[in-house]
Amino acid sequence: MATTATSRPPVRISKVANRYLLFDIDDVIYLRRNHNIGSVYIGLIPQNPQQNVFNGLPVELMPEEAQVLVKKKAAYVVDDAVFHLCRLTSLDYLSRRAYEQSLQAEGRQAQLMSLEYKLQNTPDEFRNKQKKTKTKLQQTSSEANVAGSLATVRAAHREEEPNLFDASPPTSRRQSQAPKESSKGWPVTPTTSGILLTPPPELDTPSVPVDTPPSYPLFAHLQHKGYFTMPGIRFGCDYNVYPGDPLRFHSHFQATSYGWEEQINLIDIVACGRLGTNVKKSYLIGGEVSGVSKAGVSEKEQKEVEEGVPPPVRCFSIEWAVM
Amino acid sequence: MMADQVRINELVTAVYENLENQHDWTNLETHSQSANNAALPRPMITGLPPRRLYLHPDDQIEMLKTHSINEIEETPIMEWVLPTHLNEKLTLKEFAAVFDSLDSLQPSTPARPKRMLLATIHDDSTVVYYFIHDGIVKPRQN
Repeated sequence: MATTATSRPPVRISKVANRYLLFDIDDVIYLRRNHNIGSVYIGLIPQNPQQNVFNGLPVELMPEEAQVLVKKKAAYVVDDAVFHLCRLTSLDYLSRRAYEQSLQAEGRQAQLMSLEYKLQNTPDEFRNKQKKTKTKLQQTSSEANVAGSLATVRAAHREEEPNLFDASPPTSRRQSQAPKESSKGWPVTPTTSGILLTPPPELDTPSVPVDTPPSYPLFAHLQHKGYFTMPGIRFGCDYNVYPGDPLRFHSHFQATSYGWEEQINLIDIVACGRLGTNVKKSYLIGGEVSGVSKAGVSEKEQKEVEEGVPPPVRCFSIEWAVM
Repeated sequence: MMADQVRINELVTAVYENLENQHDWTNLETHSQSANNAALPRPMITGLPPRRLYLHPDDQIEMLKTHSINEIEETPIMEWVLPTHLNEKLTLKEFAAVFDSLDSLQPSTPARPKRMLLATIHDDSTVVYYFIHDGIVKPRQN
């Protein structure tokens, strides 16, 4: 596993509308196994947008998670809107042609499937309506029509297999040969733009900066110690902290970040401490140590600061004392 | 400043008496200075609860294996108590300072305490007690 962790290229994080998304299941598995990142699946089925229990890809990372991964050089962030524009405008002739052909192929595939579906269903309909002799004639003729156009589309599909080595500019040959509307394939809006990634992506381009919340130092500290974190809204805190994969463990802490000299209301400690104890968790408060006196921060931690990760953080775990 | 001192002293007294009379603690002591005569961030109380107050979950599992858990529960150890009022606001820096000052309080005690009890008093004289552990300490299996 260690070898895969080192040899793997950095994970591509897509920034879409200020959300940090992962679309590749291999990346998700890799981050879960090697970088203790569980995070939230937000993918829904358009037919059933109400269900929110078994969501799928993409995974939405918290900005903190994206930032930690970028700092570890395990990932890089790409602004997807900018990326698409750049890629589409900078495609060379061959790539552009491959892209267009892939779109056309997809359209023809859709048309083919629809025609095949029609052809399969017609005989049943036909059988049901056999009594009506009037429609019989009509039916057979429409069936023949469908079969005919199916053959045309199939032929066109076979002929127009994407051919990267065909460097000649597009001629009117195809249009003149297949003037029939049906053989061009349907215009489809592609559901993914993965084809744009096929020339290896922009590894050398700098990662887009990530806007992290003030709780980032606490997050980085917990992440560095190997804890899994999930958003903390369920327990009224910043993070739910798990000692291992959230699929296998209950969380141990509800963590809330405070500034080093930020005033903490004791009522909050009482309330969250009591809530945590009731759900068998500890209430963890912590924040980045700042100021001149860095008492309590060991030399080892100090060294880590100089190397960039993670910032020095001090934490306190709070539990109700049952008295 | 003087009024502040008076207020804190009253706070300490109230918590002291609550521990003594409601929770049956013994060997109670109030500390206002560390061992080298430097003032503590605020006076603290030490005392012996009637039973063991805290058991780390890992120790608990170990003791359940060796069936010595009842024995342990009957042998209390000294606890540190920080008296506070509900209307106060504390900072991480102050919590850290309290823990760091406990370090040098008594040379006789072997190790620096890893936890203290936060006693929070309300105007109706209710006192609630919360453990504050220094660092990331996993919760008890209660």
